[in-house]
Amino acid sequence: MNDFQMAWRNIWRNRRRTLITAASVFFAVFFALIMRSVQLGSYDRMFKNVIESYSGYIQVQQKDYFDEPVLDNSFELDQGLLDLIASDPNVKAVVPRLESFALAAAGSSTQGVVVMGIDPQGEKEVSEVHNRLVRFKLTDEAIKALMNETLPERTKKLLKIFKNEAYTGTGRLMLDMGLSEKDTSDVLPVFRKYASFSNYYLEEEDSMSVIIGDGLSDYLGLSIGDTIVLIGQGYHGVSAAGKYTIRGIAKIPSPDIDNIVVYMPVNTARKLYGAHGLSTSAVIMMNNTDEKSLVATAGRLAEVIPESLVLRSWKELNALMVNQMDADNKSGMIMIGILYLVIAFGVFGTVLMMLAERRREFAVLISIGMQKHKLAGVVAFELLLIGLMGVMAGVIASLPVVIYGNINPLRFKGQMASMWEDYGFEPIMPTLMPDAYYLWQTVVVLIILSIAIFFSIRKIYKLNVIQSIKA
Amino acid sequence: MKVIEIKDVNKIYNSTEIKVHAVNGVSLDFDQGEFAAIVGPSGSGKTTLLNLLGGLDLPTSGKILIDGEDLSKLKSSQLIDFRLRNIGFVFQSYNLIPVLTAEENVGFIMALQKIDRKEREERTWSLLKAVGLGDRLNSRPAKLSGGQQQRVAVARALASRPKFVLADEPTANLDSKAAKTLLEIMEKLNREEKITFIFSTHDPRVVKMARRVITLEDGKVISDEVKKQSNDPENG
Ligand SMILES: Nc1ncnc2c1ncn2[C@@H]1O[C@H](COP(=O)(O)OP(=O)(O)OP(=O)(O)O)[C@@H](O)[C@H]1O
Ligand SMILES: [Mg+2]
Repeated sequence: MNDFQMAWRNIWRNRRRTLITAASVFFAVFFALIMRSVQLGSYDRMFKNVIESYSGYIQVQQKDYFDEPVLDNSFELDQGLLDLIASDPNVKAVVPRLESFALAAAGSSTQGVVVMGIDPQGEKEVSEVHNRLVRFKLTDEAIKALMNETLPERTKKLLKIFKNEAYTGTGRLMLDMGLSEKDTSDVLPVFRKYASFSNYYLEEEDSMSVIIGDGLSDYLGLSIGDTIVLIGQGYHGVSAAGKYTIRGIAKIPSPDIDNIVVYMPVNTARKLYGAHGLSTSAVIMMNNTDEKSLVATAGRLAEVIPESLVLRSWKELNALMVNQMDADNKSGMIMIGILYLVIAFGVFGTVLMMLAERRREFAVLISIGMQKHKLAGVVAFELLLIGLMGVMAGVIASLPVVIYGNINPLRFKGQMASMWEDYGFEPIMPTLMPDAYYLWQTVVVLIILSIAIFFSIRKIYKLNVIQSIKA
Repeated sequence: MKVIEIKDVNKIYNSTEIKVHAVNGVSLDFDQGEFAAIVGPSGSGKTTLLNLLGGLDLPTSGKILIDGEDLSKLKSSQLIDFRLRNIGFVFQSYNLIPVLTAEENVGFIMALQKIDRKEREERTWSLLKAVGLGDRLNSRPAKLSGGQQQRVAVARALASRPKFVLADEPTANLDSKAAKTLLEIMEKLNREEKITFIFSTHDPRVVKMARRVITLEDGKVISDEVKKQSNDPENG
């Protein structure tokens, strides 16, 4: 009979109480992990989206551009500097951009837009606009035509829900239409016929064409081949105006960008704004994107860039989003805090009950010669066992849910989706794969447990043996 | 040879407004091999005196020496260790650890003493046999009657080879038949193994079996008589 065996038997002497305690720990851990994973997964996704479709991990800018993002604060970005930056081992790609505002007009509608002058070839490794071109779009006409075709009933219902949705590939389309792999060969040709979209990517020397965001195209009612007029203010106050043909429509996963972006070759943008040879930023993508590598890379790059330029991290570039996430994160933490508080009270309740019930037994054990530290050890071990059972069960049960949620993220449809998009979020809730946050949840539970254990140990040390034996 | 020397011991409880002189100037000696009963009306200080002897409580004044060692000189953890090595306890009821079998309850105290497994098993077995429970080794306390539980408690008290065993009203919760059996076992162990027993009781039949009877009243020893001859339990 060692301490472990004794503790083991003790926890099963009141099976129900043990199970209730372990179960409450289990539920706390389970729900906290799922909540955390969804929350962190969404942030992760949002940041990735905005970084990969827009900001990049680091940008090189003229000193004042960040506070005053106007063309007058642009800089001359020569090939030498680009090469120098690209030579860093962690830099995957670096591209110049010229970014400015304009008013877009089409027919009778106008909309403020962001004109992004990009290097069409280089940008393939950065914002990957070429991969975001819309291949299918469920326009009203497309849906009307599709309804007359032989399609599964379910798909016809889903068509209405996903009205106006744009797809950059067949995978998402099939998923949203409730179609499986084996339907693909029958149904895909039908969609190709009525809902497909011919899109073209930008070419370096093309000074007449642009690509616009899907949200913007919806707003202005524009499609491929239509004309868009841009009016704005150029470098040093010159006026800027141009007329372009829409060559492609891209679905950018960040609705904030999707609704206002117009891409054109950087030289075309320079011409439009009269900013020859100038860039507003050099956008840098990284190989290793963990915080530590980013900081190290930034340190190296800071040494090589001219003094008039500065580096801006993705956090600075997306400060608004970072702040929003921080606030959201805090409210999430408070929720989890409340959850744990409830659990802590539950655990304390059972611990108090257990201590009261066993007061006499403890007194007998101390009387016959069991040292208090040994007794406290057995009791601590019991609580640890119960707690760990709950924690482990919670962790194990959450794993399949979290992993599934990462591979098949929850997607919102219809109204719910547009509501999310209105707020500037992609209507999708992926979970974050198990990470440090798993460890933290476990640590929090262990802290609660240690408080309960500490309390029990104190009770044992303060036990009045004579009074307790009488009881 | 004296095992216990009590020298002018007082125990005063000051906890409430009323000062209770629970043990009042008691001086007593106990020899090896005694079979002594402490009797007296309720509230006379029997439990208090036994607690002082067992080192569960410290006297307000006076000295208690066990084999010459002054209990009040020991730190609390040393006192626990002292009890483990020197004193066996039998309480009124619920003595046993509910999750352990009879065998494990007896073996437990020897495990605390770090006695090796083989010796533990042998001694446990012979002790449980001696208290008439050789066939209930694997029963947990809940499966034993009150009398059987008290007999396991006696076996446990002896397991550590203590200098003496203290029992505060060990038969209080037993019917007269079980009480008689328990006392007979104690008496036999005392006679054959020279185990020192000091117990308190209200039960006149138990008192009759004692070879020394100490009577308390209001915390004072009012009589201390040693019977010349060991009683034959059958005539009790
Ligand atoms: N912790 C305490 N605080 C205050 N007074 C106490 C305390 N413990 C015992 N007493 C008092 O000390 C006196 C002796 O009590 P004790 O329990 O020793 O009597 P007893 O002879 O064992 O009685 P009983 O036969 O009823 O068990 C009583 O008056 C009791 O009220
Ligand atoms: Mg008493």
